Amino acid sequence: MRRAVQHLRLIRSHLQSRTYHHVAVGSKYSTSFRQYLQLPNGEIGSYFHDVPLNLNLETKTCNMIVEVPRWSNGKFEISKNEPLNPITQDIKKGKPRFVNNIFPYHGYIHNYGAIPQSWEQPLVPLLSGLKGDNDPLDCCEIGSEIAKMGDIKKVKILGSLALIDDGELDWKVLCIDVEDPMAAKMDDLSDVETYMPGLLDATRSWFRDYKIPTGKPPNVFAFDGEYQDSLSTLSTVQECHEAWTALVNGKFQLDDSDIEIPSIARAGTHIRIEPHQQDDTPIPQEADKWYYI
Amino acid sequence: MSYTARQVGAKNTLDYRVFIEKDGKPVSAFHDIPLYADEANGIFNMVVEIPRWTNAKLEITKEEKLNPIIQDTKKGKLRFVRNCFPHHGYIHNYGAFPQTWEDPNEAHPETKAVGDNDPLDVLEIGEQVAYTGQVKQVKVLGVMALLDEGETDWKVIAIDINDPLAPKLNDIEDVEKHLPGLLRATNEWFRIYKIPDGKPENQFAFSGEAKNKKYTLEVIRETNEAWKKLISGKASDAKKIDLTNTTLAETPTYSAEAASAVPAANVLPDEAIDKSIDKWFFISGSA
Repeated sequence: MRRAVQHLRLIRSHLQSRTYHHVAVGSKYSTSFRQYLQLPNGEIGSYFHDVPLNLNLETKTCNMIVEVPRWSNGKFEISKNEPLNPITQDIKKGKPRFVNNIFPYHGYIHNYGAIPQSWEQPLVPLLSGLKGDNDPLDCCEIGSEIAKMGDIKKVKILGSLALIDDGELDWKVLCIDVEDPMAAKMDDLSDVETYMPGLLDATRSWFRDYKIPTGKPPNVFAFDGEYQDSLSTLSTVQECHEAWTALVNGKFQLDDSDIEIPSIARAGTHIRIEPHQQDDTPIPQEADKWYYI
Repeated sequence: MSYTARQVGAKNTLDYRVFIEKDGKPVSAFHDIPLYADEANGIFNMVVEIPRWTNAKLEITKEEKLNPIIQDTKKGKLRFVRNCFPHHGYIHNYGAFPQTWEDPNEAHPETKAVGDNDPLDVLEIGEQVAYTGQVKQVKVLGVMALLDEGETDWKVIAIDINDPLAPKLNDIEDVEKHLPGLLRATNEWFRIYKIPDGKPENQFAFSGEAKNKKYTLEVIRETNEAWKKLISGKASDAKKIDLTNTTLAETPTYSAEAASAVPAANVLPDEAIDKSIDKWFFISGSA
């Protein structure tokens, strides 16, 4: 009970100040890199669990954490298995992973990130028998500014695409920073097509093709690749928030030993980490190559 | 022979200058670097001005001694190209052929437009992102005739001879075969890139078709001849182009001492680019 009260107090203090910082250690673009969330009181928190979702169904807004800035290639993501879920670079065969440039695009074409306090649970099949990919919900922010890794943005939800990535359901929520000059005019998918013609199609083909250079087949989508509207997407966010709530409350029973449940460690034990960022590791030249599909 | 770049000042400032050095000694990017790296094998030198996927409009300046690469300005402000969806910045390594000049005194017989008074532009399509002041050895594949605000502005398509694809690319049709969509994207890019600044769409001569290698070699030869007239002081109007050079002893503007007047290298950290340059412009009906 006392811990719960402590937790509530902590959450309230976040909401009041909103001054999140981050603490980086290691060298960016190497396996040593970690970027942790630092809460206003100075202790280390989890990007996954300690940033509030702040879902508002009236304004269609919630919070987002930026993992990959637009037009960059480093595949950075909130590490779900490491305690306190720092942002790390995905590792493939021992090497930091970079997404390939798919002509005519350069790197990621959105500010890409995750919705905090949401989880695409991998245990109970949902849509057409598909299970979630065991990650926080992914989102694509389409505002004009290039965001920074670790930015926490209030975004308006516009729609979503149900990607099936290696057989798992992996929603991509389309959203826009509420501070963007276009945000007031954008309320749903039709507005995206009006003000940013071509972006919906580009987003779909980007996600369809982005793994082809690594030898994988094109990705497929549920709903025949149709976008889901903002209202339907809000329900998806709610469901994933409920799954997250069950996760942190230890409600998920695990019989299937193949699935590793994310770390649910979060702030409250006053862990501090000193910044110790080293010079960036040079990005390998292969990351510059353009692939023509 | 080896070329290096000497940076003076911070990128994205008015002070920024990149001089080309040959064996450590400053030369003119416009006049001293030989056009042909290996004439018998059709290999040219290209001076890279703008790396792919960047926005700063960097170019060999005509007005300053030894023609360093500087950032173009408009009304006293640094010029950046806009991002036109789905593109990010320039989509090629953009640069120029040394010892060429698009003569503004002469109308081209086919495009009927006069030259734009600049060295011949080159679009290098290899996979590596180049750097400003890099001197690349390239083979040429084709050319497009942009009519930019009424002037002929040839865009030669070329590839670094060290690129893995270079052995397979020998003429313009090979570009579509190995880099499908690139010529169409190039055409679109140059047509629309000034629209966000309130200018009309640019036009291409020859219905936007790229001409083949043979035609390109002729354009290069003509612009090289025009430069030869310019550097020997025989152009009908030299347009106040600084012709100082440090290697062409037979020219009236030869000056070995000009090299020692070039400031020492002074590489400062890049200045931040205004956030407005990050914006993507969606131009409907462009494709």
